[in-house]
Amino acid sequence: MAPINDRPEARGAGSERGSGPVARTRGAVRRYPGVLALDHVDFEVRPGEVRALLGKNGAGKSTLIRLLSGVEKADEGTVEIAGTVLTGGGSREASQLGVATVYQELSLIPQLSVAENYHLGALPTGRGGLVRTAHMKDAADAALAELGVRVDPGMPVGALPVAEQQMVEIARALRGSPKLLILDEPTSSLAAAAVDVVLQAVTRIAASGVAIIYVSHRLNEIRQIADSASVMRDGRLVETVGTKGASSDDIVSLMLGDAASATEAPARHTSAPATDRPVVLSVRDLAVPPKVRAATFDLHEGEILGIAGVLGAGRSELLRSIAGLQPPASGTLTVFGEELRRWSVRDMIRRGVGFTPEERKTDGIVPLLGVDENIVLADRRSVRRGPLLSGRRQRAAAAKLVSALSVRTPDVGVPIGALSGGNQQKAVIARWLHRGSRVLLLDEPTRGVDVQAKAQIYDLVRELADDGVSIVFVSNELEELPLVCSRVVVLRDGAIAAELTGADITESAIFAATLADGTGSAAASTTGESM
Amino acid sequence: MSSTAQTQTAPAEAERQVRRLSLSRGVNELGLLAAIILLYIVLGAKAGGFLTSGNQLGILRDAAQIGIAAWGMTLVIIAGDIDISIGPAVAFGSVMVAKGATSWGLGVPLAVVVTLLIGTAIGAFAGFLRARFNVPSFIATLGVYSALRGLAQFISNALPVPLPNSGFFDFLAGSIAGVPTPAVVMILLLVVFLVIALKTPYGRAVYALGGNPRAAELAGIPVKRIRISLFAVNGLLAAITGVLLAARLGSGNGGSAMGLEFDVIAAVVIGGTALAGGSGSILATALGVIFITLIGNGLVLLGVNQFLQDVVRGVIIVLAVLVNVLLGRRNRLTS
Repeated sequence: MAPINDRPEARGAGSERGSGPVARTRGAVRRYPGVLALDHVDFEVRPGEVRALLGKNGAGKSTLIRLLSGVEKADEGTVEIAGTVLTGGGSREASQLGVATVYQELSLIPQLSVAENYHLGALPTGRGGLVRTAHMKDAADAALAELGVRVDPGMPVGALPVAEQQMVEIARALRGSPKLLILDEPTSSLAAAAVDVVLQAVTRIAASGVAIIYVSHRLNEIRQIADSASVMRDGRLVETVGTKGASSDDIVSLMLGDAASATEAPARHTSAPATDRPVVLSVRDLAVPPKVRAATFDLHEGEILGIAGVLGAGRSELLRSIAGLQPPASGTLTVFGEELRRWSVRDMIRRGVGFTPEERKTDGIVPLLGVDENIVLADRRSVRRGPLLSGRRQRAAAAKLVSALSVRTPDVGVPIGALSGGNQQKAVIARWLHRGSRVLLLDEPTRGVDVQAKAQIYDLVRELADDGVSIVFVSNELEELPLVCSRVVVLRDGAIAAELTGADITESAIFAATLADGTGSAAASTTGESM
Repeated sequence: MSSTAQTQTAPAEAERQVRRLSLSRGVNELGLLAAIILLYIVLGAKAGGFLTSGNQLGILRDAAQIGIAAWGMTLVIIAGDIDISIGPAVAFGSVMVAKGATSWGLGVPLAVVVTLLIGTAIGAFAGFLRARFNVPSFIATLGVYSALRGLAQFISNALPVPLPNSGFFDFLAGSIAGVPTPAVVMILLLVVFLVIALKTPYGRAVYALGGNPRAAELAGIPVKRIRISLFAVNGLLAAITGVLLAARLGSGNGGSAMGLEFDVIAAVVIGGTALAGGSGSILATALGVIFITLIGNGLVLLGVNQFLQDVVRGVIIVLAVLVNVLLGRRNRLTS
């Protein structure tokens, strides 16, 4: 099913050696309970080659990476590194054979110096077991210089810009002279300008003969550095294409497959476009460094506006800034006709804007307090009798919302930490309804909740919009935007790059718009500047 | 919506967890109550004069010295902070009121008011350092601890400052309907703080910000203002304790209330309030106050060497907290 490496565009260094592939999987299968995560994948990568690995969330990229780096074992088929079949000896075995992996989340210790982080786990020691500080610094300095980075190796890593922290991480991965370097979205946390540092380093590393597997959602990056791209979908390696030959549209349709257009459910939102309704929230040239340069969009009454973008596009930053958590560097916000330049969380709450954060556990709920107290948290005035809180009114107010939003709880007094994620999320939304908020900013409202709860949250959001509540819906799961949104704007390169409305809101159109690198995408009506 | 097995298990699981939570709380308070009863039985049998009404009233008077500050401390700890400056703040208050009423010529009523105001202001300052600049409350109050102890000794030349003859101080040192006045103050404040903690938006906001400061902030709760006020209240309570102490001793004393913060924090923690913040109960603290006071009283009556008393108290406090932690861990493991 998967034509592999039909165009082995190995680069100079690799072909000179004329050696076999650095890594190869044959018929690799990996199952998780209820899921076939990897379905007979044949994959190989040669020395000096930069191979991009593409696919939607859940396509099997991470599973393939985990097999190659030895973290997991294939249920069927084989994984070979440098000609040796992995026997299930874990990541240690793979790393001894020459695999190094840099994961998306940085694994540095911010308080320790660059040099110590570089040597972490293997500090060079001299006589008496003491650390050879000077030697350690020199080695770290040399390693980073080789990647084109100059930093003071004595500096704490936390004080460096994120791009340079990423370079320290990559340098550390190269310490054992690996044959295969796997980079899992190394640029997702970087601003566009900082990406070049990483890309140049990757090119240098490949030139020295190391094979590189590069996972990214940014097609223009992939074009710059990768020779070929393997596209995965539903656990299968669909095709490996040369990045020079294939258009963005080709790649996008490979990633989405035929299924995408078939399953695109019209079961959606209110039919009437709300754009003729009054504007309740108006964002103008909002800049939230480093990721958001100038975002401009309007939110209309009763509208569900989706904000899409690849991981690291700055969706959450934009939303948090509107909510008052992070002051913007420039730009204005108009709320119900009132223009603001500076605003706090409390300013926004007072004006009827409620925000449900992405990290529900750490930012959203007070786990030990009851569901009722969590619901009335943003407005206790209405549940008081005189100066004191009325437990009865508090329970009554909460009970009303609990049943309206079908929050599943044995009692409204139950500590909210005991509920499931979906029910916690509904309670956090209920908090703003209790406060009488007319604008809701929902950051990843369905993250970590089960399928049924997701459907209930979609229903809830639609019902609220029908009642005239205006909603901004940020989600990393593109397939849910067509289900709920009446309009979707796409954040790319720090600005709103595209806008989709009505029937144009399809998963593939949104996906294409988030990735687009200017070569055009037929499906998305790309408006360089929205409104 | 259809109720599948999945959605049905969630509330059932929640219910079980709730029962476990309330159970552990009950166990803690019942256990403390049992320990207090046990102390009464043992001390009643072994320690001569323990059950006399004179000694019982003395216990109440001693409890007030710890209890008044412990109510505020419970809220501070629920909010995830700590205030270790209680002892010096009480001593400073006692010196202030004595100096104010005598050599500074303020007169008794004004001296009392000024003492309470300054105590509040000093607490608010520590709270301001915590809330505005994120100075850890342990450090902020450690600074206050040292400064106030030094100031109290400096102002008083390390000598007791006698109080003037005053009906008001006699009243504070005396009793109301047979109950020592400080104990009456403590009980009145206990009721006030119970209501604050359980029934006011302010009190519930304290629980919320201790349980999850970020969520509280996002819900529009004025986290900074509440933090400052908590320390201000603690300063006020320490000043009240200081005035009562001065009235009882007949003088302000810069070296008094040594180690009082130890007893106050121990009472709160024995009551089951977690130092991590977010949960705790004023009523349980009240049991903790009684427990600590009984042990102190009993050790004296049993004639235990004064230095060994400290050892015994230290061991008992750590044991009590250990039991709490183990109970908590068992609950977490089974959940």
